[in-house]
Amino acid sequence: MLVQQLANGIAVGSVYALISLGLTMVYGILRILHIAHAGIYALGAYTGWFAFRLVGEFWLSLFIGMAGSALAGYLIERFLYSPLLHLPRIAPLIVSIGLFTAMEETFRIVAGPHTLTYNAKIGIGDLSLGNFKLTETQLLILIVTFLILIILWVILSRTRTGLAMRACAMDAETASSFGVNVKAIVAINFLIGSAMAGAAGVLIGVYDNQVWPTMGSIPAYKALAIVVLGGLGNIPGTVLASFVVGMAETFFIGILAIPFPRDAVAFVAMILVLMFRPYGLLGKG
Amino acid sequence: MLLEVKNLCKEFDGLRALDQVSFSAREGEILGIIGPNGAGKTTLFNIISGIYSPSNGEIFFQGKSLLRLKPHQISRLGVSRTFQIVRPFLNLDVETNILVAWGHRFYPSLLKSIEPFRKVEILEEVRTIIERTGLQPYANQPTKNLPLGIKKRVEIARALALRPRLLLLDEPTGGLRFEEFVQLMALIRQISEEGIGVLLIEHNMQVVMDLCRRIVVLDHGSKIAEGPPEEIRSNPRVIEAYLGKEV
Amino acid sequence: MVSGYLITILITITIYAMLAHSLNIITGRAGQISLGHSAFFGIGAYTSALFYTGAGLSFWLSVPLGTIISGIVGALLGIPCLRVRDDFLAITTMGIVFVVEAVFLYIPFFGGAMGVGGIDPPKWFGREMSKPEYFILLLIVLILLLFFDRRLERSWIGLAWSSIREDEMAAGTMGVDIVRFKVIAFILGSAIAGLAGGFYAHFLTFIMPQNFGFGQSIVILCMVVFGGIGTRWGPILGAIILGILPEISRPIMEYRTFLYGLLLVAMMRFQPGGLLGEESLLVKFFNSVGSSVRGKRIIKNASRS
Repeated sequence: MLVQQLANGIAVGSVYALISLGLTMVYGILRILHIAHAGIYALGAYTGWFAFRLVGEFWLSLFIGMAGSALAGYLIERFLYSPLLHLPRIAPLIVSIGLFTAMEETFRIVAGPHTLTYNAKIGIGDLSLGNFKLTETQLLILIVTFLILIILWVILSRTRTGLAMRACAMDAETASSFGVNVKAIVAINFLIGSAMAGAAGVLIGVYDNQVWPTMGSIPAYKALAIVVLGGLGNIPGTVLASFVVGMAETFFIGILAIPFPRDAVAFVAMILVLMFRPYGLLGKG
Repeated sequence: MLLEVKNLCKEFDGLRALDQVSFSAREGEILGIIGPNGAGKTTLFNIISGIYSPSNGEIFFQGKSLLRLKPHQISRLGVSRTFQIVRPFLNLDVETNILVAWGHRFYPSLLKSIEPFRKVEILEEVRTIIERTGLQPYANQPTKNLPLGIKKRVEIARALALRPRLLLLDEPTGGLRFEEFVQLMALIRQISEEGIGVLLIEHNMQVVMDLCRRIVVLDHGSKIAEGPPEEIRSNPRVIEAYLGKEV
Repeated sequence: MVSGYLITILITITIYAMLAHSLNIITGRAGQISLGHSAFFGIGAYTSALFYTGAGLSFWLSVPLGTIISGIVGALLGIPCLRVRDDFLAITTMGIVFVVEAVFLYIPFFGGAMGVGGIDPPKWFGREMSKPEYFILLLIVLILLLFFDRRLERSWIGLAWSSIREDEMAAGTMGVDIVRFKVIAFILGSAIAGLAGGFYAHFLTFIMPQNFGFGQSIVILCMVVFGGIGTRWGPILGAIILGILPEISRPIMEYRTFLYGLLLVAMMRFQPGGLLGEESLLVKFFNSVGSSVRGKRIIKNASRS
């Protein structure tokens, strides 16, 4: 029972990590609260769903979902955020909120207000070891997240691009004076972050076996809460916070059966962290 | 002693920006702070004015520790500053910029804070600051349209409105035309003659040698010399670290 | 006699105008962003509704209580967030909308999905207030709020807010206690939103959790941005225009939220000051019309002499 809940918690935490990482990367480099990121997540789910209807192949549809989200993220940065960076920081934030609202409504108008079922055939099967059981979709989430996190880690720590990304996150001005093409790095951050959110959208679409217009609403603020828990802009902190929240939700609600809205756990955790560790779980100072 | 800085250290992500810096400043003294780029001068100002907290060390202003105080508390005690890259309130006019600082005696009380701020008596007193800093022609213009030299003077005027005992000037002469430059030198001297202590970060050696009786030299976060201008000029470590590179 | 339909729209717009005005104190005056305005609107509405239906307090007591409790929740939320970094306010206020909506929806005390009903319109002089009378009452309250706003703008608080909006770091070194003034703005804005909520509850006579969701926050923000952030009349104008628009055209109703979203993006991208703000095309247009008329008159006068 406990081990089973642990598995559930890790699966949920993995998806949170995929969504929150893009958000924290964007914050790290542009200091924008990218609320439309949750729209990108839902867009990934819709694109993936549509691709799956079209081609009938899950892995290909996952890839198309990620690509669609990456493209959307890039366009948002290029045409909406970048011209507004000279204005007070409230301006890109308002754009982001407006965009998120418009995206949700677009899904509703184009694909209809009802939920769409995914029914994807993934083809990896369930995993059971004695009493312990992972469903196919849980296994899928773990595999995909694990692969993506490894790729991200390799990019950030082993490549020149990754070095430039980290430098820009610390101090874009200084990085630029050392010859780093900051614009390109910002674009890469958006592409990678959005692709991860798209993957999360597809995975949740498959896991819950449904895609719906406002599926991004709860993740919109939950991912923000996780990013705060991790210490805004802190990548390892965000991964840790994602799993902490995923676990806390499953344990408190699943085992102790506390009558408490599940989606409020992240929020309460965030307020507590704000009061006692304002720079996040792994933050200093 | 007006200001005492003892063994001040500041680290950013493991990088030492300041390392065991100690010095003190008296009332009415203009203390020059020089050093090559990245020596830690602006970091020092940011710590004294409460924007950063130090990793280690102590700061006393008129015997009172400034550690753990917020910028607004420090400024209310009588320490005011200007910024190297000017940051006046761009959409407010010059007069209102000064009024913001003038309000420091009203802000602590909620009751006083709801009084209107444009009162004749107050405007008259602000007027004297405007005149002192030669800003009469610009008093009612939005600050964003003014040239750099004027913006720098707005910052000084704003700092004076706090009625400081200690004034931190971060490269006040950078980018000024000659007349502006001469006026500013006279103003700084006049301020110190009133008994206000001045810490002056400056790149222009002529200004420092002219205005300061005592100079502190920083290099890579450490104090490498302190003394009167003649001594600094001939100090081999200073020449090596600083003058040697630029002159 | 004014028709019932018209008076309903007028009351709704006045309540929206109060909401837009209260958000403008936080966003326009102090430069902070609250995405949870609908939550405070809801807290005010639910508190005054429950004090009325549950505790039997009159309209004249339950509405002020709703206002105060909204303000207190604002303080509890604002103090930890504003102490740290400005972004946190946007994040937590966005979260509070979902939490408050969930609390109203799942906790039986708040009536669940059925909401709270049986909230009567206010009484005075021993009889029930008519709709036109209620509208006049709300209008008077709105005008008083705007007078208060004018007073605040010209006070040291208003000056401190402008300095924070302009440059927080510089404001701090000029003796402005940044956290304190941000918290004041947030509490004030939240309390006024709660006041609007109380009026709303006694106007609708039954309230449901959905009335106070995230979409509602977006509508309020939209009114402020559209009319002009930080101006006194902009948010009011925004409330009037965006309040009337869906009534004039039913097709707009269907795409209302979509249009609100696009409007936020378009305004920030092309007209960040709003209709009545700085660099406003509308204001420029009227100025240019005015000056060309004046110009012609001067030419006429010149040719006559």
